[in-house]
Amino acid sequence: MNPSREVIVRATDLGYAYRPDRFAVRGLHFQLYRGEVFGLLGRNGAGKTTTVRLLTTLLPPTEGGGTLFGKDLRQCGRAERARIGVVLQSESLDFVSVENNLRLYAFLWGVPREVAKSRAEEMLELFELGPVRARKPWALSGGERRRFQVARELMHEMELLFLDEPTVGLDALTRSRILDYLADRARRGLTIVFTTHILHEADRLCDRIGVMRDGRLLTVGSPAEIKRTYGRLRTVEAGFERELSGPEANDLERLLALEGESFSIVERRGDLLVFRAGNAESLVADVVRWAQSRGIELERIAVSEATLEDAFVKLVSEAPAPAVPLAGEEP
Amino acid sequence: MSLPPVLRLVVRNFRASIDPITLLVMFGQPAFLIVILGTMFNQLIPSVGASGSYVAFLVPGMIASQMITGAVLAGRIFWLDRRWSMVEQIFSGPFRRAEYLAALLLTTLLFSLVGVGIMALVALPLAGLPRISGVELGVILATIALGATFFGGLLIALGGRIRSANLYFTIQSLLQYFLIFISTVYYPVTATTPEVLRVVVYANPLTYAANTVRDAFTHSFGPSDLTAGSVLAVLAALTFLLAILSFRRLEFGPVQ
Repeated sequence: MNPSREVIVRATDLGYAYRPDRFAVRGLHFQLYRGEVFGLLGRNGAGKTTTVRLLTTLLPPTEGGGTLFGKDLRQCGRAERARIGVVLQSESLDFVSVENNLRLYAFLWGVPREVAKSRAEEMLELFELGPVRARKPWALSGGERRRFQVARELMHEMELLFLDEPTVGLDALTRSRILDYLADRARRGLTIVFTTHILHEADRLCDRIGVMRDGRLLTVGSPAEIKRTYGRLRTVEAGFERELSGPEANDLERLLALEGESFSIVERRGDLLVFRAGNAESLVADVVRWAQSRGIELERIAVSEATLEDAFVKLVSEAPAPAVPLAGEEP
Repeated sequence: MSLPPVLRLVVRNFRASIDPITLLVMFGQPAFLIVILGTMFNQLIPSVGASGSYVAFLVPGMIASQMITGAVLAGRIFWLDRRWSMVEQIFSGPFRRAEYLAALLLTTLLFSLVGVGIMALVALPLAGLPRISGVELGVILATIALGATFFGGLLIALGGRIRSANLYFTIQSLLQYFLIFISTVYYPVTATTPEVLRVVVYANPLTYAANTVRDAFTHSFGPSDLTAGSVLAVLAALTFLLAILSFRRLEFGPVQ
C-alpha cells in the first residue's frame, strides 16, 4: 500500500465492550486509504457489524481509539457523518413508496430537490427498481428490498461508504451489476468498507481484506497476500492425451500416496484430473514422472492459486493465532 | 438552501412515519367522542359547574387530551423507527441524537396542535364559538406544549428501553386509557367523588392540563392554574431528562 495515500479511517487498538467483561471487538488495528475497497470478513458474530458501528460513530469506543477523516472517533459529529454513507445489515425503511423513500432520504440529507429527482431516476434504473417504484418497501421481494437499501444510500454524496452485507439475497446477475457499480465508484475516489459472507465477491471487489474472529482482527492484506499466506491447498489440473482408466487412476493415486503427498482428486472430467494439494510443485513433479514412466502423454498441467475460501477457512477455524500484519500494514 | 436538521426530521416524521388510517383513528376517535358523548350526556346532565352545559365542559377536556394523542403518535414514530432501523440509519447520518429527540418532541407538539384544531372545529356546531382572549389562548397552547412534552418524553423514554412491540404498545394503551379516564377530561371531581379516586385524579398531570384549559374557556384563571402550570413544567423537564438518558443508552439491533 502506498504510504503517501490519504488515510480516511485509522483504528488503533480499537475495542468495544457491551459490559466490562464482554467485548464485542478488541484490539482492532488498521487503516483505510482513500479510494480503496476494504473487505471485512468473518463468521457470524465475529464483530463485523460492531466494527462498522464503531467506525460510523454509532457506538463510542470503550478502549483504544481511532480517527475518521483525521478526527478522533469520540469527537466525531455531524460534519464527519455527513461525509459517510451506511447500508445497514438490517433493513431500514420509511412508510412511503420506493420512489418517495429515495426522495425523502435525499431530502433528509439536504440534497436539492432537482438533484434528488434526477438521482432517484438514475438509482431506480440502475438497481432495476423502476417497475416497483410505487410499491411500499415491505411489499418488495427480499432481493428488491436489498437493492432498494443500497440505492437509497447512494442518493447523497459521500466519501466513505459502509456496506454491511449488501448483496445478501441477491441473484448473481444483480450482485455482479452492483459490484461493478461499486468498483466504478471506488475508481472515482469513493472509499468502501464492505462486509460479506460471499468470499469470491470480496476477492473480486476488495483491494484489501481484514479477517475477523471472536472480535479480533486476525490479519489484514490484499486478497492475493491472504491466499498466498493462508491458503493451504492449491488446485492442480492435469490434462492427459486420453481419459485414464480406473486402474491407471488408482495407480497414480497410490504412487502419490507413497511419495507422501497431501492431496485429493476432486474431479475427473474426461482426460482431465483435478487435484487439491498442499505442495503443488511436488505433486506436479510426481504426476509428470508417473506419466513418463507409464508412457502416457501429459498434454498440459496447470497450478492455480488457493481460493480465498481456503484461506478464510484456515484462518477462522484453526486455534487462536496472533494477529499477523501483512505487507503495507503497520504493526 | 436546505432546512435545519430538526425541521427536516419533523417533515420526514409527518410525511413518512404514520399511515393515514392511524391518523384518522387517532384524531377521529376523540372527535367522535365529542359528538356522541357531547350530544348524549348533554341531555342527561343539565349543567357542570362553571362550564354550564356538559358539552361545554367536555370540549376543553378533549382539547387538553390531545397532548396525549400527540405523544402517542410521536412515541409510535420512535418505536417504529427502532423497529425498522431508521433510528440507526438516521444516527449514522448528519444528525445529532438531540436533534432527533427535539424533532420527535416538536412532532408531538404539532400533532397535539392539529388535534386541538380538529377538536375545536368538531365542537363548533355543538358548543359554539368560544370567546377566548389572546392571553387565554396563549395559556392553552403553553399548557398543551408542556403536557405534550411530558407525555411525549415519557413514551420516548419507554420506547428507548423496551425491545418488544407487544410490551410497548400494551403499556402505551394502558397509560393512555388510564390517564384519560382517571382525570377530569370527561367528568369533574366533586364533593361526592370517593377520596381514593380524588387522590389518583389529582396525581394525574392530565387533570392539571384539563382544568387549566377549562379555566381558560370559562375565564376563571386562579392560583391553582399557576400551580398546575408549574407542576406540568417540572414534570415535562423530568421526562425530557428521562428521554435524553434513554437516548444515551439506546441499544441498536433488532427489536421485535
